[in-house]
Amino acid sequence: MEEPTEPPAPAVVPGNGGLMGPATVLERCATGIEGVDNILSGGIPRGNMVLVAGSVGTGKTTLSLEFLVRGAERGERSLFISVTEASDKLMQNLSTFEFFRSDLVLNGSLVFVDLPVVYDRLGLEHEELLPDEIDILIRTIRDLVRSLGAKRLVLDSLTSVGYRIRRDERIRDFMLRLGQALSDEGCTALLVSEVSPTPGRYSLHGVEEAIVDGVILLWNTRRQGDILRVLQVVKMRGTAHSRAQYVMELTPIGILLAPHLKGGRGEGA
Amino acid sequence: MPVDIAERLRALPPGSAVALKLDPREYADHYFAVLNATLRDVGSETEVHTIYMTVTNPAAFVWSLAQALDVPSDRISFVDAISHIMMNYADPLPNATYIDSPRALEEIMLRIEYLIKKFPHPRTIVVVDSVNALAIHNPPELLSEFFHILLNSLKSRQVITLVLETNEEEATPVEQMLNLVVDETIDIARGGR
Repeated sequence: MEEPTEPPAPAVVPGNGGLMGPATVLERCATGIEGVDNILSGGIPRGNMVLVAGSVGTGKTTLSLEFLVRGAERGERSLFISVTEASDKLMQNLSTFEFFRSDLVLNGSLVFVDLPVVYDRLGLEHEELLPDEIDILIRTIRDLVRSLGAKRLVLDSLTSVGYRIRRDERIRDFMLRLGQALSDEGCTALLVSEVSPTPGRYSLHGVEEAIVDGVILLWNTRRQGDILRVLQVVKMRGTAHSRAQYVMELTPIGILLAPHLKGGRGEGA
Repeated sequence: MPVDIAERLRALPPGSAVALKLDPREYADHYFAVLNATLRDVGSETEVHTIYMTVTNPAAFVWSLAQALDVPSDRISFVDAISHIMMNYADPLPNATYIDSPRALEEIMLRIEYLIKKFPHPRTIVVVDSVNALAIHNPPELLSEFFHILLNSLKSRQVITLVLETNEEEATPVEQMLNLVVDETIDIARGGR
C-alpha cells in the first residue's frame, strides 16, 4: 500500500463573488454545461471528486459524458471508465447528441476504458476485492490518469465497483485514496452513484457522500402525473453554490436547466 | 381594427415583453391580425427568427395559417405543448418540438431556450399563445412564477416576448401579475392602443 502524500495546494485567484463572496476562489473546472456552471459559480473546484447520484433514467451518464466532451473540447484530456456498459455502446448512444464529436475520440482527447477488461488484465478475479487488489485498482486508475495527462475523469459507476469492494471501511479507504491520487494529478472526477429514491442517502454504502467533495443529486418528480427530471447540488466544497432545485432537459445540444417551479408550495407542485 | 401592430412591434427595443390583448367577441379577426403582424410582417424580416409556443392550437394549425401568409419555414419554430394531450401527434412538423403536457412549464422554458441556442439569430421573437390556455391547465401561482421567470430570462437574452391574452371581464391573478412584468400592453380591440 502506498503512503498517502500531501496534495498540492490548489490554485487560487481573488474572489469577485459580491458582498457575500469569498476573498479568494479556487481554480475552476468549468463543466461546460451552462446551467451547472451557473449553479456552481463557474464550475467544480479543480481536483474535486464529486458524486453524481440518482436512480435509473435521471441523466447521470449523459451529464457525466457531456462534462467530458466539453472538457476535451477545451483541450483537457478526458477519461471515461465504464464498469457496467461497453464503451462501444456508450459511444453509439453519445453519437445521437449534437454536442458529441467523434474526432475527440479519434485524436485521443476523449478516452474510454472498460473496467471489466482492466480487471481481467490485472487478474482481479475475486468476487470481493481484497485490500491488495483494491490497492492495484487505485494505482491503475492513477497511472492511467497520469500517463494520459487526464484532467477529467468519470467512473460509471462507483456503485458497481462498490459491489465488489463490499465492506464499508474498504470503500471508505478506496475513496479517500482515489480522491487524493486524482487531486494530486489535478484531475476533476465525477463518480456515478446509482441510488433508489431514499431521502438523505446518495450511495450504495452510505459512506461515499461523506468523503467526496461534492454531491449532485438527480431524481424524477411528478406534477399531476407528468414526470420531470430534477437536479440539485447538495454539497460542493470550495465554492458557493445554489441549493435550489432545477428541472433538467437532455436536448440534442446538451443539458439545459430551468428553475423548478413551486407555485408557492414548499416542495415541487 | 389593429392597423399598427406591426409598426408597434418593429419599434420595440431588444428584450421587450409585450402583452397582446385580444377581444373574445372578435377573437378570430384579432387572432389572424396578430399572426399577420407577428409572423408575416415582422417575422419574415431578415435576421428575425420567431419561436411560437402554442397551447391554444396545435402547431400544425398555426403553421397552416402561417403558410397561407407565405411565412418561410426557416424563420419560424414551434414549441407545441398541446398536440400530445390531444392525441394529435401522428404527423409531427419538422420545425416543431413537442412537449408531453402544458403542465410541464419548465420544459416549455427549456425548449424555448433550446431553440434560441440552436437557431441563433440577431433578433429572436418568442410568441406565447396564450395565457388563457395555459391557465386552463395550471394553477395561477405556478403560472405567475412561470411568467415571471420566463420573461425575465428572455429579457436578459435580449429576446422580444409577445404574450397573447384574451380579455376577461375581470382581471385574473395571472393577468394582474403579467401586467407587472410586461413593458407594454397592446390592446387589439382598441386599435393597438
